[in-house]
Formats: sequence, structure tokens, C-alpha cells
Amino acid sequence: MTNGWTDVANADVVLVMGGNPAENHPVGFRFVMEAKRQRKAKIVCVDPRFTRTAAVSDCYVPIRSGTDIAFLGGLIHYAVTNNKYQRKYVIEHTNASFLIAEGFGFADGHFSGWEKDHYDKSSWQYELDGNGYAKTDATLEHPRCVFQLMKAHYARYTPEKVAEVCGCTPEEFLKAAEMITVAAAENKSGTVLYALGWTHHSFAVQLIHAAAMVQLLMGNIGMPGGGVNAQRGHANIQGSTDMGAWNMLPGYLKIPRASQTTLAEYLKVNTPKALQAKSLNYWGNTPKFMTSLLKAYYGKKAQRENDYGYGWLPKIEDKGDHSWGAFFDDMHQGKLEGLISFGMNPVANGPNTHKMLTALSKLKWMIVAENFETETAAFWNAKTLAAKDYPEALSAEQIQTEVFLLPAANFAEKDGAFVNSSRWLQWKEIATDPPGEAMRDQEIIARLFLEIRRLYEKDGGKGREPLLNMSWDYALPHKPLLSEVAKEVNGVDLTTLKQVNGFGELKDDGTTACGNWVYSGCWTEAGNQMSRRGQEDPTGLGLYPKWSWSWPANRRILYNRASADENGQPWDKTRAPLIWDGERWRGDTPDYKADAAPGTLPAFIMLPEGVARLFAPDLVEGPFPEHYEPAESPVSNPLHPDVSANPLLKTYSSEGAKFGQAKDFPYVAITYRLTEHFHYWTKHTSSSSELQSNFFVEVPAELAAEKGIANGDRVRVSSARGQLEGPALVTKRLRTLKVKGQKTYHVGLPIHWGYVGKVTGPLINNLTPSAYDPNSGTPEYKGFLVNLEKIS
Amino acid sequence: MKLDEIRIPRFDAYERVMHWMAALSFVYAALTGLALWTPVLYWLASLSGGGFVIRGTHPWSGVLFSVVIGWMYRRWAKTMYLDADDRVWLTRLDKYATHQHGALPPSGRFNAGQKMLFWSQVATGLLLLVSGVVLWFPEEMPRGLRLAAIAAHPLAAIGSIGGILVHIYMGTAAVPHSMRAILRGWVSPEWARFHHPKWYKVWRDSANLR
Amino acid sequence: MIVAKLIDTTLCIGCKACEVACQEWNDQEYTLGTFNGSYQTMPDLAHNFWNLIRFNEVERNGAQSWVMSKYQCMHCAEAGCIAACPAPGAITQMANGTVDFVHENCIGCGYCITGCPFDVPRLSPATKKVYKCSLCSDRTAVGLEPACIKTCPTNCLTFGERDELLRSAEIRTRELKADGHAQAGIYNPAGVGGTNVIYVLNDATQPEQYGLPKDPEIPWTVRLWKGPLKALGAMVFMGSILGAFFHYVIFGPQDPEKHGHPEEEPTHEA
Repeated sequence: MTNGWTDVANADVVLVMGGNPAENHPVGFRFVMEAKRQRKAKIVCVDPRFTRTAAVSDCYVPIRSGTDIAFLGGLIHYAVTNNKYQRKYVIEHTNASFLIAEGFGFADGHFSGWEKDHYDKSSWQYELDGNGYAKTDATLEHPRCVFQLMKAHYARYTPEKVAEVCGCTPEEFLKAAEMITVAAAENKSGTVLYALGWTHHSFAVQLIHAAAMVQLLMGNIGMPGGGVNAQRGHANIQGSTDMGAWNMLPGYLKIPRASQTTLAEYLKVNTPKALQAKSLNYWGNTPKFMTSLLKAYYGKKAQRENDYGYGWLPKIEDKGDHSWGAFFDDMHQGKLEGLISFGMNPVANGPNTHKMLTALSKLKWMIVAENFETETAAFWNAKTLAAKDYPEALSAEQIQTEVFLLPAANFAEKDGAFVNSSRWLQWKEIATDPPGEAMRDQEIIARLFLEIRRLYEKDGGKGREPLLNMSWDYALPHKPLLSEVAKEVNGVDLTTLKQVNGFGELKDDGTTACGNWVYSGCWTEAGNQMSRRGQEDPTGLGLYPKWSWSWPANRRILYNRASADENGQPWDKTRAPLIWDGERWRGDTPDYKADAAPGTLPAFIMLPEGVARLFAPDLVEGPFPEHYEPAESPVSNPLHPDVSANPLLKTYSSEGAKFGQAKDFPYVAITYRLTEHFHYWTKHTSSSSELQSNFFVEVPAELAAEKGIANGDRVRVSSARGQLEGPALVTKRLRTLKVKGQKTYHVGLPIHWGYVGKVTGPLINNLTPSAYDPNSGTPEYKGFLVNLEKIS
Repeated sequence: MKLDEIRIPRFDAYERVMHWMAALSFVYAALTGLALWTPVLYWLASLSGGGFVIRGTHPWSGVLFSVVIGWMYRRWAKTMYLDADDRVWLTRLDKYATHQHGALPPSGRFNAGQKMLFWSQVATGLLLLVSGVVLWFPEEMPRGLRLAAIAAHPLAAIGSIGGILVHIYMGTAAVPHSMRAILRGWVSPEWARFHHPKWYKVWRDSANLR
Repeated sequence: MIVAKLIDTTLCIGCKACEVACQEWNDQEYTLGTFNGSYQTMPDLAHNFWNLIRFNEVERNGAQSWVMSKYQCMHCAEAGCIAACPAPGAITQMANGTVDFVHENCIGCGYCITGCPFDVPRLSPATKKVYKCSLCSDRTAVGLEPACIKTCPTNCLTFGERDELLRSAEIRTRELKADGHAQAGIYNPAGVGGTNVIYVLNDATQPEQYGLPKDPEIPWTVRLWKGPLKALGAMVFMGSILGAFFHYVIFGPQDPEKHGHPEEEPTHEA
């Protein structure tokens, strides 16, 4: 979240789209209800399903799954053509005025520079002046300025077109657009709440980009009650992202590539240059962050002479892809020997369960550290436990993978910090010790590490330097305390051996160590900032600066400098997170130099431009979001039928082309979570299982009538990947949509069940495709095609 | 044999057992029912193990009573139809009550009062059974029925118990020797001739005594 | 001081947190495996499930709407369960208005189920006693709010002094009316003397959409058997006994010697 849960109460408009917070974030949703009660905020809910969120909304618009960019593009078109955008904000704080090089354009589904399987992005660049700075036109009139290009790009997204693509009516779209664009007024702000309903698409990052564009046009970024707010699903998924799970280093530092053989080369490629004269370009500090990280990894072994141990870091091939889908595909091809799985259940989580089962069966060994025996730990038994769902699965005798199930402590048995959606690092204490032989994660990892290192020391082996040089200075090496780790993450000044106060103190000369620069400040000499529970609210905006600690630098609203104009005048005096008192910025931790007078720097200090990007050339499939159809779609793209799906859609060929056609699989399937359960975990507990014991298939009433399906009848749902069965829940809440003139039905599939647990049911990922977003590598779990039959 | 030594069989063992089963189950059902009916009489519950126990036993005693009533019905229904004399008898109930027996038409094996008791017990018994079953299973029965039953059951019980109270008086203090009839099964000819002349005549004729 | 629970259905999101809190606090046995074609946890309240969110799909002004509302004991001022209960001390109304079952006195007759206009109490097949929401009397007694209130994330549930809650319900109703919900109102039915569980409804003209009876009252048959029928019964029983006694005193037993013989032949032909 750019802003945070408590801040949602400051909104005048809440656009809930690609998320269902009433069901999946009910505790956070209290702030939506507060906005509704206290500020008379309007809630607009855009979702294929009439959800529990829709039930308390002021405006509900049903759209076909995967057509959100069309809807948001329509909003951009509506705002720009009806003059419902905050023009001053757009000029001052976005790249609307920046000129783009000659030759940029969009035609027939492709941006300029399309070359069969990738884009040559040379036409997507700013036109630079002699100093290497971007040229601008503050009147926004230049035909090649971002604003005019954007206006032209979205001219196609008329309300009628939106309705044709999304399946709602133009009137419904216009009603929502009118409500949402109220936030264009300087003294109004609107928030956007989204979750997996946006990220589970093969154009997910573009979708969020589109939302950011809408918010920038409304002047909502940096404003209390504004922002683009991702509601994170797991208690600490934000933390795992920040710490660099998958293919990032901690603090969003890029993973080294094979050709970046020295630290200097790495830094040269990954340190951006300012694109405006006054731009602070904070990422210019990348060398400090990276060097401090290497010092944290390798301690005294990291010296200037050896590039601070940069050479020991693992590197990815230049064009290599180690995202989640990619490494499971490698596993499916037999390229991986083993897997260590902590708090992760890929058989249940991953798309196309058949592929997951086959992939795991090609491993020599697998370690699963878990509270329960999960589907992954029991994958070798799938054929026995769920024969009907996996007729082609290998039987236990045919699987050679050796599985080690290590009993691990659960959340209440561990201390440490959870990082929530609001970016708050909230420290918690141990409630109880783990039962039996269960160990805390850090102990399992430490023991594995120490034993593997001992074996390497004893027996030698290739590539052992990273292990042998790793710094491991914990009081109890086999059982590190999380407080020790947290202090290491915060960072230490190695000359004084004192905790640093923040990333501003990090250096690139090897005199500081820091495990994650964005968390720097969480455990200073003043103590553990994450365990603070102060409830003071000096701004009255619900920022609670002394409650836990928020990254970065305890800042509660990101980009908060944009809440005021160039001269430091807040857009809304009643809701100013920052006030310039003549010497310093007061209020929230400024997303700015704290003592820089208004006007000395542009507002977006993290970007080389110094302003927010409406035009974002770093995304792979275009600088502007464009509506593409999901990998499987009931219609060809109404905007450009010949380039229907995302041209850079990521798929893997190892399991063959398993995509279905609308003639065989006519219905759009959506997967989702229910408030009653948490992922695939709570089916192991009675209290949650009681609330919703059974898997079910939600069927639109009209489709049910066509097929003679009554509530509770058993139905079979099949896709090109697999099939499953369950009872039907017939409902009018799934409305029939008219897409390109044809009736379109959704079939709803709640996740949460599997073949182990107190209650069991089919894994819906039996049906989902191996189609991935090219920017983030997230699978397309929503908006794929299925068929539905009644089982008589 | 002298006339006063003759014993006329009035109730055979079968009927006596039947009657006393009905009586005992009725008394139990009535007492436990009264306990459940009003807190004033809730102390009665403690005679049979307390409220929780009688909530379990009361319905079963009612079922037993109903079964016996059904048995009685099979046995006696035919003899319980009112004849012309009975109908006149009923109009002269005041004469019966004030011992002016000479003014009453003759009764058969059962007088009209007994017959009315029989029919009233059949009717209230049926009502008690039906409403009782409804109240027995509150979670299975539709609410409308339960609401009707909650009033019908005590109403029927009032009628039933009222009738039986009169019956007990008649069978003990008011009509000497009737208790012997239902306990031991026989009556004297004198008794029979006085209380049930038509029935006595049938006995006398068949016994060919005169 | 009368305490009450205010349920602002306009803020309910059907998250069922109150259901879990109720189950956990009251240490209930869980029921697994029911599917009833709905998002509702179970079709109805149960002896081991005292707090149920009902989900009703309804149409309002031609638009789809999904009404969620909490269903539990209403703690009526004039409680139908108490009116119907035959076991002294089995149901008590505490000084703070809470209607609570005292299980050691409960005989499991189930009359309260019939007497309750909201159909709340449930018999346990195991203990043969009746159970329902106690308004967490074991929490309120020590100054804590009921478990459901404590856990509600949207402040849809509040607990406090009844009069104060009624005032805030009125304020909320005015807010809703100003917000375009002309039918908004409070559900606090007079038929049972008012309830200590008060609802704010977006559409108070149709409480049935929330699963609430329109005009609940203690059933007249319950009033009949607890009132007039008792008098009638007393009259009949005492009348019978006294009548018999005085009959005996005045007339004595029937005596063939003194009272003359009726005819032996039928005197009236059929």
C-alpha cells in the first residue's frame, strides 16, 4: 500500500476493484466503513461477482474477469475528455508534460517497436536535451507530450467500448466514473483497494499501472485517503516481498546477472541517472545499499579488494528467468534436484496441479517445513487421496522423490515482525512454544546451513565460497534469535558498532552493514521500533507514527510530498500530511529531503524523472496499459481481434500447449478466497472449517436454469488442464454479461480445499492455466475458460 | 343359594387390569403434567425424580395411557353408545345427583354418565396424545402446530382430569361397592339391580333364576 | 441499568468473526460437513451454534442486494421463553435485562422454543437441555463486552446501556435517511416490550428481508395457557373436589334401600 489501512478512513471515494476486502480483509475494511460513516465516502465496487463488498457499496458494476484495463482506460478517457482531472497536480507531479521521442505510437494491438517476440523500446524514450534531461511542455499541448499521447491512446476507450469489452452497460460505467472522478477536486481524495483480482492476470502489472494513472489524474497519490493500495493476503507476504523472495535481493535491489561480473558493472547497470535537473533520484544511492548488504552477508570477509564479496553472490543468466513459474517449469523438465519448501504449498498454490505433481515427482529430494502435512508434503499420495481428480497422477510406487517433512512452529510460536499491507513492521512475541519436535524456522535453516557448511568444509566441493564466507555471528549459531537478525537487517555502523538510525547513514565504503536498506531504522540504538504501540495521532489523520514502525523511514504515506503543490501549499488544508514550517517539513516523515524548501526538488524523489510516470517505458509490453484478453477468452479482443491476448504473455512449453477454446469451454472461470478460510491452511482447523466446510461451484442463476441445475446439485467443471466436481451454489449474484453482443457467464470457484485436512475437496488449480504475467511472473488464476456439466 | 350370596361377575380380570393400567398411567401423567403446568405444583415433580426426569417420563406415561384408552375403546366402544333411555337419563342428571333413582330410566351395563365419561376420555385422550406428541418434539414440529398444542394440551387435560375426579368420587364414596367391582370383579344382584337394571335383567334372564 | 447490543446491519459485511468468537468463547463443539447451498454457515441456529449470520439475496428497487444480518437471542424485555417456561428458575431475566438460561434448572421441555417469537432456543440431543446466546453473561458480569462485540471488525456491533444505544441508533437512522435510505429505521419490536438486541435496518419496512419477524409477540396461546387456562383449571379441579365433597355431605352415598328402584325394562324405545 502506498498509504495504509488506517488512512483509508480519510477517503471520499473508495474504488474497490480486483479485490474483495469485506471478505478477505474484514479487519482492514473497518476503515472503509469508517470513511463511509464519517466522511460519507462513496464505495464503488467493480467485480465480476456481487461480493460481500458489493453488498455494502454505493455503486456496483459487474465486469468480465480480466477486463479491468478496459474499465480503467475508460476512466482515463472519461476524465481527460470531461476535464475531470486535477490539472495542476498532473502538470507538477507527473510526466504528463514530458516529450517522447519521435516514432512512438500504437496500432493494431502493438506499440511501436514490436519485433515478433519482444519490443525494441527505442521509440518509448523521453526526448532529452543536451544535458541528458527530458524535454517538457508545461502547457501539455505538444503533440508528443505524454498527456497528448495518453489522450490519443485512450480515445478508443469510450463508455460504449468499455461496455462491449467488460459486459456492463455504458450507464453503469458512467455512474461509476462520475463517482470516482469526484476525487479530481483538489480537496477530495479517493483510494483504490486491490488485491489478487488484479495481480492474477497475464497483464497484472499493466493493470496496476492503469490504476496508478487514474490516481495520478485525480491527484490522489501522496494524498491522505488516496493512493494505490494493495491488500496483501498473508500476514507477512509484504515482508517476503521486501526481503527479496524469488528473484530480487532485499530492498528491491536487482539480482545480479551473469554478465555483471564485478560490483562496478552491477552498479553501473542498476544505478539510475537523474532525468531532470533538480531530481533527487534517490536510487542513485544504490551503491550504498548494495555495499552495505554485501557487508551484512559476508562480514569481515567482505573487503574493498574482493568487491565486498560480490563475486560470491549467485547470478542469473542475462536472459534467465527464475520466477516462480519458471523454476517449476525447470523442475518439470527435470532440471532441479531438490526443493526446500517453507510455508509454501506449491501443489495447492500453483496453477495446473497436474504439472505441479509431475514436477515434484522429478525431484530427488524435497524438504517441507510445515505445521501440517500439506498437499505438497503428501504429493506422492495424490493418486490415492484424490484418485478422481488426478487419474493420470503417478502412484506412490512410481515416485522416487524422497520427502522430508519437518515439523515447524506456527506464527504464534515465533516472535519477529509481520509486515502488513500498510508496510508496518509489527513485532510480536512468542505466545507459546512449539509442540513436540517442531522447531522455529530460523533454527531449521541454521541447522541445515551449519551442517551443509560442515560437509563442504570436510569434503570440499565446487562453489562453496558463498557458504564458507557467509557471516554467521549469532550467540547460538544453531538457533539465531530473531532480534539478532532484526538488528542485522536494520544495519550497523561498523566503525562505532552502533545501530544506524536509517538508510541515510549507509555508506558505500564498507563501513556500514545493512541487511535490507528499506528496513533500516527498525531497530536503532533507541531499541526495537517495531514493538512500539504508541497511539498518538498528532496530525489527526490516523497516521499513528509511534505505532510499530513503517518502512521506509517510518513514513506512513508514500509520495506524501505530492499532497502539496510546487510551492508547498497542501491541496487540501484539512488533510495535510506535511506542512512546511519555513525550515522543515512537519507531520509525516516527508518523502522528500526533510529540510529542502518547497520548489527545490520535484516531489517524486525515488524516480529519476522526479515526477510520477503516466508513461512507464520500463514495463515490457508497453508504456501505456492496453486491454488484452486473458490467455483463454470467450471472445477475441474487441479492440484489436488479431492481437487478442498479451503479445508478451509468458507461457512454458514443457507440459505442452494446454489452452482451451471457447467452443469447448464456453464459460469464464474465476477463482477466489472466502472470508471463512485462509488459503489452504484453515481447512486444518475446526473453527474455520465449520464456517464453510464444503467446496462449491458458484453458478449464475440464468446458466443454472439453462442447464437444469438446482441449488446443491453436483456439477463437473472442466478445463483444458483437468476437471473437478462439487455441489452447485446457484446465485443471482453472478450476473449474465453481454460481451461483444454475446451472453457471457462466469463460473465461480472458491479455493481453500485440497486432499488433506479436517475438511477436503478438490484443488481448483486442477483447472488453472500456466499463463503468466510477463512483468511479475504471477500466474493467471482468474479469467480462464471452463465447461460446466450437471452430474446426473 | 341365597340371593345375597350370589356374585354377579361385572368386570373380568382383563378389564380390571385394563382399568387399573389406565388409572395408574393417568394418575402419573396427571400429576407430572400438573407439575409442568404451574410452578405452584412444581413440587410434585420431586415425587418422581424432579423436573428433568418427568420431562422424560411424562410423555411416555401419556403414551401408555393412550394405548390403554385405545384398548378400552376396542373392548367397550360398542357398549358405550347411548340408547334412548340414556338420552332421557342425561336430561334427568339432577335426579341422579339427588338420589331420585325412581325418576330415572333404567341403565344397562353402564349408565349414561359412565358412557359420557368414556367418550370424554376417548376424546380428551386423543387430543392429549396428538398435542402431546407435538409438544414432545418441539424441534421437529411446525411452530403453528406447537402453538395450538400448547393451549390444547392443558385444555384437554383440564377436561380429562375434571372428569376423572368425578369418576373417582363416584367409584369410591358415592357408590358403595363399586370399588369392589373394579378391584375384585363382582357385584351383588341387589347392587346390579339398583345401578344397572337392564344389565341385571339380562343376567337374571340368562341365569334363569326366577 | 439495562444493557443492550446494537446491530447496525448497514455496517455488517458478513465476515462471521462474531460466529467464531461466539464458538470459541463458549467452547462449543464444531460441526463439520454441512453444505446448504448458501454462504451461510448453517441453515439455522443450533444448540452448539448461538450466533448465525444470515445471508439473504434479495432485490431492492430492481437492483441485486445481499442482506447479511446477525441472528441470535434478542433478550426481549417481555420474553416469550420465560412466559412459556414451566420449570421455575430455568430462565431468568437478570437485572440488566439479559435473558439467561440456568441449565441446572432446565428440564428440556422445549416450551421456550415454542414461546420464543424469534425461534431461538435449541435443544441439545446430548444433554436434552436448551441452549442459546447468554449475551456472554459470564463476560458482562466482570465488565467485559460480549465476545461477538469484542471481535466485530467494522463496529457493526456495539454494546452498552440500552437507552444510549437507542439514541445512537436514532442518530444512525437519521444519517441513513439523509444518505438516501428513506426506509431506514430501528428494529425494537413493541410486541415483546422491546428487545435488548436492537437493529438498525436500511429498510425497516421489510424486516423479513433480514430474517426478522415483522410484529413479533408472545403467542396468544402461550398467554392463554399461562393465564386464563390456569384459572379455568383451578376452577374445574377445585370445583370437582369440593362439589364431590359437599355432595357427599348433603346427599351421602347412593343406597338401594332408600333411593327406590328404577325399572328393569327399557322405558324409552330407541
